[in-house]
Amino acid sequence: MRTILVGASLLALSAGAASAAGKLNLYCAAQEEWCQVMARGFEDATGIDVDMTRKSSGETFAQIKAEESNPKGDVWWGGTGDPHLQAAEEGLTEPYVSPMREQLHPWAIAQATSAGDRTIGIYSGALGFGYNSDLLAANGLPEPKCWEDLTKPEFKGHIQIANPNSSGTAYTTLATMMQLFGEDGGFDYMKRLHANVNQYTKSGSAPIKAAGQGETTVGIVFMHDAVAQTVAGFPIVTVAPCEGTGYEIGSMSIIAGARNMDEAKQFYDWALSAEAQNLALQVNAFQVPSNMGAQTSDKAPDLASIKLIDYDFKKYGSSDERKRLLAKWDNDVSTLPQ
Amino acid sequence: MRQTTTEKTTHPALIFWIVAGWVGFVLLPWYGVEDFWFMEWLTDGWPLDTDYAPALFLLLQGEKPWLWPVLPALAAPLLVMRRPKTDPLYAQILLAAGGFGFAWLIAQGLGIGIRGWNAGWLEALFGPLGDRQYGMGYGALIVASAFLFLFTQGIAARGAINGDVFVTGAIGGVIAVVTIFVFFPIAKMLLAAFVTEEGGHSVVVFLSKFFDDRIWGLGCLSGARCGVAWNSLFLAVLVGVLSTALGLVFALVLTRSGFRFKRSLRAITVLPIITPPFVIGLAIILLFGLSGTVTTWVADLVGMRPTRWVYGLPGVLIAQLLAFTPIAFLVLIGVVEGVSPSMEEAAQTLRASRWQTFRTVSLPLMRPGLANAFLLGFIESMADFGNPLVLGGNFDVLSTEIFFAIVGAQYDQGRAAILAIVLLAFTLAAFYLQRFWLGRKSYTTVTGKGDAGVHPEMPRGLAIPVYAVAAIWGAFTIVIYGMILYGSVVQLWGVDNTLTFKHYITAFAVRIEDGGIRWTGSAWDSFWTTMMIATVAAPLTAAIGLITAYLLTRQDFAGKRSFEFGTMLSFAIPGTVIGVSYILAFNIPPIEITGTGLILVISFIFRNMPVGVRAGIASMSQLDRSLDESSLTLGANSWQTFRRVILPLLRPAILAALVYSFVRAMTAISAVIFLVSARYDMATSYIIGRVENNDYGLAIAYSTALIFVMLAAVGLLQLMVGRTRIGRRMSHEQGGG
Amino acid sequence: MAGVNSRAASVVFENVTKIYGRDVVAVNDVSLRIEPGKLVTLLGPSGCGKTTTLRMIAGLEMASKGRILIGDKDVTTLPATDRDVSMVFQSYALFPHMTVLENVSYGLKFSGYSKSETRDRAMAGLSLVGLDGYGGRLPSELSGGQQQRVAVARALVLEPEVLLFDEPLSNLDAKLRRHVREEIREIQQNLGLTVVYVTHDQEEALAVSDEIVVMKNAAIAQIGPPRALYDAPADTFVADFIGEANLIACEIVSVTGDVAEVAVTGVRHSLPARGLKPGPATLALRPSRIRIVEAGGLAATVEKVTYVGPRMEYTFAGDFGQVFAVSDNVDTPYRAGDGVMIGLAASGPVLVPDA
Repeated sequence: MRTILVGASLLALSAGAASAAGKLNLYCAAQEEWCQVMARGFEDATGIDVDMTRKSSGETFAQIKAEESNPKGDVWWGGTGDPHLQAAEEGLTEPYVSPMREQLHPWAIAQATSAGDRTIGIYSGALGFGYNSDLLAANGLPEPKCWEDLTKPEFKGHIQIANPNSSGTAYTTLATMMQLFGEDGGFDYMKRLHANVNQYTKSGSAPIKAAGQGETTVGIVFMHDAVAQTVAGFPIVTVAPCEGTGYEIGSMSIIAGARNMDEAKQFYDWALSAEAQNLALQVNAFQVPSNMGAQTSDKAPDLASIKLIDYDFKKYGSSDERKRLLAKWDNDVSTLPQ
Repeated sequence: MRQTTTEKTTHPALIFWIVAGWVGFVLLPWYGVEDFWFMEWLTDGWPLDTDYAPALFLLLQGEKPWLWPVLPALAAPLLVMRRPKTDPLYAQILLAAGGFGFAWLIAQGLGIGIRGWNAGWLEALFGPLGDRQYGMGYGALIVASAFLFLFTQGIAARGAINGDVFVTGAIGGVIAVVTIFVFFPIAKMLLAAFVTEEGGHSVVVFLSKFFDDRIWGLGCLSGARCGVAWNSLFLAVLVGVLSTALGLVFALVLTRSGFRFKRSLRAITVLPIITPPFVIGLAIILLFGLSGTVTTWVADLVGMRPTRWVYGLPGVLIAQLLAFTPIAFLVLIGVVEGVSPSMEEAAQTLRASRWQTFRTVSLPLMRPGLANAFLLGFIESMADFGNPLVLGGNFDVLSTEIFFAIVGAQYDQGRAAILAIVLLAFTLAAFYLQRFWLGRKSYTTVTGKGDAGVHPEMPRGLAIPVYAVAAIWGAFTIVIYGMILYGSVVQLWGVDNTLTFKHYITAFAVRIEDGGIRWTGSAWDSFWTTMMIATVAAPLTAAIGLITAYLLTRQDFAGKRSFEFGTMLSFAIPGTVIGVSYILAFNIPPIEITGTGLILVISFIFRNMPVGVRAGIASMSQLDRSLDESSLTLGANSWQTFRRVILPLLRPAILAALVYSFVRAMTAISAVIFLVSARYDMATSYIIGRVENNDYGLAIAYSTALIFVMLAAVGLLQLMVGRTRIGRRMSHEQGGG
Repeated sequence: MAGVNSRAASVVFENVTKIYGRDVVAVNDVSLRIEPGKLVTLLGPSGCGKTTTLRMIAGLEMASKGRILIGDKDVTTLPATDRDVSMVFQSYALFPHMTVLENVSYGLKFSGYSKSETRDRAMAGLSLVGLDGYGGRLPSELSGGQQQRVAVARALVLEPEVLLFDEPLSNLDAKLRRHVREEIREIQQNLGLTVVYVTHDQEEALAVSDEIVVMKNAAIAQIGPPRALYDAPADTFVADFIGEANLIACEIVSVTGDVAEVAVTGVRHSLPARGLKPGPATLALRPSRIRIVEAGGLAATVEKVTYVGPRMEYTFAGDFGQVFAVSDNVDTPYRAGDGVMIGLAASGPVLVPDA
């Protein structure tokens, strides 16, 4: 009873405190430009002031968790889906069913239902890899087309991938292999890959940046990150692996106990609209939007030509399964000699 | 005529704090007010509106009844105003009123929060509370300070610390702020180490996590990988020793040689600290990476395939040496200058050769500097996170592991806490090791006697290697900075080398319109915020650091050693841990300051304070105590002594502290990541955002601009602080006068 | 004396004890009274507690027990800055970053004087110590003696109730030492200052003091004017420490009234008893008071002869042991090997209890 009272009075207070036009604290976990465009776009559309703070997904999650007892943010927009699912699991985010749902791709809604409506998909991006064409030529290596190509002995010391313990991208790779090759086959693949890896980076997009700078030949990353390197001017070729591949669902959640709940929901609905998602075209964002009416950048990898697996977000997003797979990878793969 | 206080019954400090206490209680808003300094609250319902009301008005309206006990505690000190200090009642009343008032404020602040009672047992004891409170504001802050300083005046009146009001107040104040802004948040964070998966607390869980093989494994002895703890330790010892040696080399060239271009050398030496860290990493990759200029050139020369040799220990070591040698240098230069020339001259007259003099007199007298420089290098290396991230390869260290335990795919705050404890244990060990090494010897070299000697030049056998090392390292630094400058004016560093100024224009464009300047560049917002915060934080950091150093070297009080270590804590822990612990501690009442500029300033103060403390301790241990004492017997009080005698003699330490804290506030990343907010974005977090977005040119251009701004600032600081003129001839060739 | 006046006050110690840490007793239950306008020396070997006593007067150390009064005020718990006392340090403690004038003006700045008065008083102080015209120099540009005088001027200009000196001459050469100590004494007497002076040099103490406090093992061994200490040391420690003394074992045969009958290696002599009882005792003989007599003295031979310019120095040996003596007769000195008789003249030897 008391908590309801307090909750209600908190709401009343925040409504009183906010000025007439309203304001919104947006935690954004996508790239800086995209975040800016989203914040300004929402301001233009509604007149609500947006205070936007940009951090990586992991950092945003850590911040929301640390602020749990007195939340400061209202909406968490962008970033890979796993931390959103984790937040949903821990009750850090608020369930909300948006009227915009019917315009979305099924995978976006699947993300919401698997998390008790506490999060929803806003874009997706397929996993793949990219290689530095200059280095590939200099080392006389064949063009890699498939996951299996990366385990060939001539690629020894040429592959970079993030450490799944620290990076959601690498964990998605691990989970993808489980789903492509089965658990035993998947770990067998990771072990053979391990022999060729020159470094497990900490951050998920670091391998393709290293490839751009000529510090590694191949980097395993989300394909839109590889495309961004090419667009930035680096000699990177993006590859959609022939065996098929997994993908991430970039997500959005409303933070539980948000002070500007009404504005948060307004943003949530707006961010799912086609016009809001089309803002991605103004910046170098090459993901696939979740609104069926939104356009995809012409430079983006064509999802139709990629063999996407039916990624089981519910299973591989749960913290128990994640802990089990990571422990197994730690013990069976990372300890092997290279 | 000097007044003797025995008859004096007006005590300015006492009256000040009594008045301050009442002002805080009766006039200022008790709870936090957004944009306090815009003063809008004055016309917006103050003093009656409960959002802005001072405590007294809250009480009179029947609100927040738990503040009533503050009133008698504020009233009691009025009784002592006409009493002499020697009256026992004077001390007793101040101790009781100040102590109770302060304790009560803390208790109510921790006990009652935004949801009423903060703890179940309080509710069980007193029944549900229909009220709640938010973060404390300026009213509460001032009342709390008043209680604290009334309490310390009570302690002083009882004769502690020779009855010194300034010293007791300083000790009380520093202990209070260090407890609130260092111990409290870190303790909150580290408690996570004992939390089980079910949310309970357990020592067994702690132990099993603590002795994890991934931390302590010794696999590298047999070809596999070692635990992160050993990696970190090995790296930190290397960095500590080498950065101290390099710092000493530069200090020697500057003070004990006939080198002509001392000013430029000095500038080169401190250049790396004014560089946002990732830039050095990037430059090193472009030089030594797989496709780096140097690597490919050497590979062509010897006919080998280029390798990724730089990733791992070598790269991190190079980058950290570049970054931390300046700190060692800044600590050492003061000490090396401070060694009394007379002692060196005395040694020479005792038939010691230059080399023997150096080895037996100069070097041992520099020990406090060496020890402190090593300690700083060691700790910085342990806590550094940017360089291992970029250059570490598969060489994992504690700081990166901690970061990714917090933000990585595992979200394991407990593991982060465990690793932080390991890191702290190493730091503690290094701290006690340096204390042990310094021992109880005296390193006083500046006594009250005029000293007109000249530092001897270095012995030849030492000069040659010292020059060689200084030349190589200086040249290396110049190359790195040449590359950075170059990188900021090309299209895409390493790929498209067309010259362009577009990065600077994007970041720093300015338009003049309507008779005013419009800062249209994308970097201006974060630039001005950063400048403002650095400018506010630097003097405060230096002040608190030097006062703390003064207390630690010149005063004796219970718990001094643990207090000294405590001041190092916030520096020793990786910034990300500090960032998270600050959110845990200061996102909720009683101190709710997340999202403000204040939290950035505070985090910088307590994170960078240790450099001021270390530099201050090193320099102060060279000042003879009789200087302070004679000032005291001449009627100056401790504060005046500190300001007029100690501070002027500490100029090198002040400069070190100011420069370091200013620069760190502009270049620090890790702590800031969690503390920046939409309105207070910092330059570094903006730069990192650019790097993540592949805008290397923009990031480097911004960094370059920051480097020049900081260079100017350092020059300005140097001018403002000035040189201490104590009549020693500076060197042989200038020594004519 | 232009601009510098005296406000001399007394200093009183009432059962003062100072303990460092848990159990290191630096000063043990000391009571003493220093009259206003007097120069009192604390004399003793190193570690005897004299410097601690001085620092307690200054307020640089706080008494663990007992009371300290300056004038009639209880200053026991007052910090140095609140006491009206100035101190001249052994190391001078001149602030190296300030000029001579700034050093001398330093204390005046905190005493509420106007700028011009501060300057006038500082100048007057400098001229008092004969350093007019040196105001603009840095301490490092002065000689040791000049630095010393700056330190004195700096303390003097405050017109303190008590002026303290901590071994002020120990860094000066012998000639300068005599000169400066005479200057100090002269200024003290002209201004009528209360001065407390610490030294371990007994000659210095004898030369400057109105009264000497001899300290030993954290306690007072004897207090008295120089002459009383020299002529009537309270015990062998004082006898030996103040001026050199030859200590000779003797036997008090009988005591009649104030007169004791003393026997030294068979030779009998009457001396003031100084309250001693019959039994073994010690006889203190000042080297300058030893007279050679024709008969009725102690038989001895000349063992060593040294010519030191204004006087002769001898070492005599006999059954009583060795004694050191000086004689102004440089024209007809004894030679080594000569047999002599050492007289026990009435004003010469003093009976002292064994310490």
